[in-house]
Formats: sequence, C-alpha cells, structure tokens
Amino acid sequence: MPPTDFDAIVVGSGMTGGWAAKELTELGLRTLVLEAGRPITPEQDYVEHKPSWEMPFRGLGDRRATASRQPIQRHSVSFDELSHVFWTDDVDNPYSTPADRPFYWFRARQVGGKSIIWGRQVYRWSDLDFEANLRDGIAVDWPIRYKDLGPWYDHVERFIGVSGQKEGLAQLPDGEFLPPMALNCAEQHVRQRMQERFGRDRVLTIGRVANLTAPHNGRAPCHYCGPCHRGCITRSYFSSVNATLPAARATGRLTLRPFSIVKRLVYDAKQNRVTGVRIIDAQTKQQRDYTARVVFLCASALESARILLNSDLANSSGQVGRNIMDHIKWGGASGQFDGWTDRRVIGERPNGIYVARFRNVSSRHADFIRGYGFQGGADRSGWEAALHAPGIGRAFKARLSQLGPWTMGFWGFGEMLPREQNRATLHPTLVDAWGIPSLHIDCRWGDNELAIHRDMSVAAAELLEAAGATHIEPSTSGPSTPGGTNHEMGTARMGRDPKTSVLNGWNQTWDVPNLFVTDGAAMTSSGCQNPSLTYMALTARACHYAVDQLKRREL
Amino acid sequence: MERRELIQWLVATAGLRALDGLAPADLFALGRDIHRHTAPHASGRTLTAHAEQTVTIAAERIIPATETPGATDAGVVAFIEKMLTDWHTPAERERFLAGLEDLDARCRARASRDFVACGEADQVAVLTALDAAHEEWFDRLKYLTVYGYCTSEVGQRALGLFPLPWRYDGCAPVDAAH
Repeated sequence: MPPTDFDAIVVGSGMTGGWAAKELTELGLRTLVLEAGRPITPEQDYVEHKPSWEMPFRGLGDRRATASRQPIQRHSVSFDELSHVFWTDDVDNPYSTPADRPFYWFRARQVGGKSIIWGRQVYRWSDLDFEANLRDGIAVDWPIRYKDLGPWYDHVERFIGVSGQKEGLAQLPDGEFLPPMALNCAEQHVRQRMQERFGRDRVLTIGRVANLTAPHNGRAPCHYCGPCHRGCITRSYFSSVNATLPAARATGRLTLRPFSIVKRLVYDAKQNRVTGVRIIDAQTKQQRDYTARVVFLCASALESARILLNSDLANSSGQVGRNIMDHIKWGGASGQFDGWTDRRVIGERPNGIYVARFRNVSSRHADFIRGYGFQGGADRSGWEAALHAPGIGRAFKARLSQLGPWTMGFWGFGEMLPREQNRATLHPTLVDAWGIPSLHIDCRWGDNELAIHRDMSVAAAELLEAAGATHIEPSTSGPSTPGGTNHEMGTARMGRDPKTSVLNGWNQTWDVPNLFVTDGAAMTSSGCQNPSLTYMALTARACHYAVDQLKRREL
Repeated sequence: MERRELIQWLVATAGLRALDGLAPADLFALGRDIHRHTAPHASGRTLTAHAEQTVTIAAERIIPATETPGATDAGVVAFIEKMLTDWHTPAERERFLAGLEDLDARCRARASRDFVACGEADQVAVLTALDAAHEEWFDRLKYLTVYGYCTSEVGQRALGLFPLPWRYDGCAPVDAAH
C-alpha cells in the first residue's frame, strides 16, 4: 500500500470527532482532524461572563442581522446575542424543505462544533431501547445491545465527567457519576410526592449533566454562572475544545485543520477503499486532497449523510439520508406551589430535573408505542414577570425585586420512529457558498409521535397534581418543528444486513471497509434520551475496533 | 437545562407574550428587506431632543429613583434609542413615535402643556391611563424601560443580581446574601 499523509482522517471536531481524535491518537495513529469552521481560542471566544449591559441589545440579539443571516439557527434554544457566532450562517449554508414541512437544521461550524453549545444532558440507553425495533417490528434491529455499549459508556463518562444521582432504574442505567447537583425546595417536594404516589414507576431525579461538581482530569468544577452555551473558561462542562481535543493534542499525533470543508471522499474502486478526502479551504476556496488508511465521518448526522451522498459511496442499501429522527417536544405542563415563600434559589444551576421514561416500560399504553422522558425544573421568577405587569411608579418598581411563587414545569422529549420517507436527498441545483450540493430535507412527525406529544401534557399535569400544585397549566403548544430539538439522527443507520443498513455493528460501512460513520447518523432508533452520550460511546468503541483491525492488517 | 431556558418556559406557560412577536414569515420578510435596501439606520438617531426628553421622563415615572436608582440613573433612554434605531421595524418605530405625539396631545388636552412641561401628577395620571388601556406603543415603552433597567449595571446591582454568587443553593433563605 502506498504511504499516506496520515494514518486516520476524522471529519468534524465536535462531540464525536473529538472522541475519534482522542481515541485514535492515543492508540498511536497519526490523525488529521478536518473542521469546516474556524479555530476556537477559549480565552478569546468564550464570553459566558460578559454582563448584559455590555451587549448592544442586552441579550435580545441583533434582530436584523439574525433575520437576514440566521433565520433558521435563531430557533435553537442555545441561540442568543453572544452565542449566535457558534451557529452557521443560513445564507452561506442553505438547504431546502417542502414548503409545508419545515425542518430546522441547526448547524455549528467551528472547532468544537455543537459540543460548545449543547445541552449537556447525558443519559444511557438500555435494552428497552436497543431491543425496541425488534420487539415492535419497526425498521431494522440494532446490531448491538446494552452489554456491547455499557463498558464504553463507562469509558466516556469517566473522561467527560458526569454529575448525577444513581437511581437503579432498568430503563435508565446508572453511570459513573460525580456528586449530583442539588434539587431545590420545590423539586425535592415533587420528588417526594411522586414517590408516594407512583413509587418506582415515575422517578424524578436531578439531571445527569456533563458539568463537573468536583475537579476532574485537570478541569475545574462548575461555578454556577449560568450561560454554558457561551463557552466555559474554567472548562467545567464537557466539550471537545475543553477536553478531548487537548487530550488528542497531548499525544503529539494530532493535526487539526480548521477551515477545511470536505467536498467528498476519494475512492479507489479497484481496492474498494477510500484513499482519503477532498477538501475546499473555506477561506481560499482552493481544493486539496489528504490521504489516510482509515476515514471517520463525525460531521453530524445530516452533514455526514451529505458527504456520503456527494461521494456516491456506501449507499448500496439506498438507506443513506433516510430514517431521519429527532425528539418531539413542547408537550408538558407547569404548576405553582404556595409554600417556601421564605426560600429562593441562589446561583444558576446549569441543569434541571429528569423523569425517566415511564410509558410502555412495565405497562402498555393504548395510543402509542415507545415513550418520553420529562425535563424541567422549578424556580421563582424575578423581574421577568414584571415585564407585562400592570402599574407604574414606586409600587410597580417594588415588583421588580419580588419573587414569584415557586413554579414547576415538566416538558417531554419523545421518541420518534424511523421511517424511510423521512429523508434527505441531494438538491438538484442548490449549492452552498463553496459550490457543494446542498440537501433537500423532507421530514414530518408520524401519528405515534403526535400521540406521544399529546400524552406529555396530560401526564405532566398528573404529576403536578400528585405533587399538590395549583394553577396547573398543561401546554397548549403544538409539537415542535422536526429538527428543532437538534437531536437529528438515523441517516446512515447501523444494522445486521447490508441490504437494509449502511453500517455494521462497529459503525463500519458495509460497502467500504475503511470508512466509519460514528455520529448521530448511525442511530437505528431514537430512544427518548438525549443522544450525545451514546454517540460518544459508539465512537470510542468503533475507534478501538478500527485500530485493532488495522493492526491485524484486516483494514 | 439552563435557568434562562427554564424561566423562559415558565413565563411563557404563564401566558405572557414576548416582545419579539413577529411570526417567522415576518422575520424572513424583514431579513429580505434588509438585504434589498442596505441603507442602514445605524447612524441616524431616532429620537429628537424633545422626544428623548419625553422618553426620559416617562421612563423615570415608570421606574422612579427611590431608595435605589431609577430609570434615568440606569441610562434607560440610551437603550431605548438603540432599540428603536437598530432593532425595531420601521412600522414599529413609527407607531412608537406617533405614540409620543399622542402623549403630548393628551397632556395638552388635560393641562395645556406638552408632557415634559406637565407637573408630575399630570404625567403620572396620563401614563397610568395609557398603561390601563394597553396602548401598544406604551406597552413597548414600558417593556423597554423595564428590560433596559433590569439589564443595566445599575439595575442589576440594585436588584442584587450582580455580582454573581459563584455558588448554587436551591433552598436559601430569601434574605440570604450571595
């Protein structure tokens, strides 16, 4: 085999690209990480401590710039006046959808990708999830089970640092946790009352979050300043910039190339191998190729599918771009409590509560299969509640510093079933600012998701009622827009059969042995848990497999 | 979940509306409009000297200086000027400016003077009536006043929100110091 520029190329430097970089370099591979966006220097680019009065629009954002350049990205919950720079420019990075079926494709192009702006909630899957498709006769079966991924969950959690509380729930396996963050007064009460009413069936626990509560691997614990999505100068939450990329760099085997947009994979048909990738330099728009023995796509679910489609590779099954899934949300409820008027919250906990899935766990729901988890929390509103309060003058001013009643909210994150017709295809004419064909995304909720969404509000109100809340208000919102949860996945699914799946049980493409896809594209079903932890575990596992295969000269 | 997101959700569920009430289609239109006519308002100030004085006094009547600083001390009018000039749509801005003229008209009808020349009692009476009537422009003025005050350094300090506590206590006594 001719010498290559690198042993491995990793496309993307975010959640999974950072893990691939760390694992591959630590296992001895000279690794090139290609990132489409700019470099990130925490000391310059992290702005979480910038006070509101130093922002021209005080956090309301530059509405005109946003409307013209980021009309889609603005819908992300993490998008604001400062963090908007961590999201892509919608004009330079267009895609299309059917006119009546919007899809939000939230994208991040910089070193660190979306790991800078993620929600940091990390939950293990269980065999309830891995066996779901087989049990329900939906799509295809996962080629792996919990026993295959469990050790890799351990591996990832030990490194990233996850604070959480062990609960011993079969459907939400416990992990390697740092001390949990505290529940506040109202949340403790609700946990207690739920326990009395529902026992082990519906358990409220503190969120399991990749924010440190103790020093960990040279990173400082959280100081509760609040806006994690603007960066974290103390590296207290996990991102690839804060943790995996520095670990990869420490090996001396990492080469990181920002501003490198992958146009396509380079393929040698005679050997049936990818020999490397072709990039366009984002700044000079010049092309160049890099070669390697193995390539990992970690560009995010839809971007990795786009690269495969633009390369016309690994798609003998016809499944690339299909089976788009997200998590449906906006069902839920809020309610108030009369007590603890002499108590308040100090500091900003970057975490809420979690209620593990309880539908279709030990009983069967009549209206839908699968289920959802609740996130949310309790707090007392401050001056925000006075924005529309009546009155002016001294008495009105006094309201600004008055705390509202303790209010608790539950919002569901529901599983989406894989369906082939939820699909991304190459657009026949639309290209991005670098001339690379863009995607046309056609994705909609199905009846099962809509039934889940309806049930969220009913069940959330039931929990609040059990807890003795007053003023219970079930959500009247329709379902979120597909893609809006930013948990898009499934576009190059794993499976047991090359005819019906893109990847085998090791995230290796069936068609091209030295090509791996380890981001959300690999997901065979969506679960209802926040997916990043599973992506990271799959990535680490696939890296060890690939290096093992390289050593055996089987790749 | 960050507290910001939680409070947004809790406040939204309580049935309050947001300032940014534009539908997605309107925002797209706004974006296209900006692309087409790149003549920015950035340099031009929106408020005349008279209008600026009117807004300054009205904001101070909404959030007066008491034992703690008020809207004037917090520089709220500069924030409102910035928002009117660089954030609002032309239509929103025009309705706001028309509202200021209406304010003067109401004061002249009541006390034969412009708002700024009225006595405090008349000013408060006229603003209170506008507040009760939920005049759109006045709701906007009040929102911007409250928001501008509470996000200013003066306001954040007065409300005890700055400096940051650097810790979390989910069940602290109400009067506990940071």
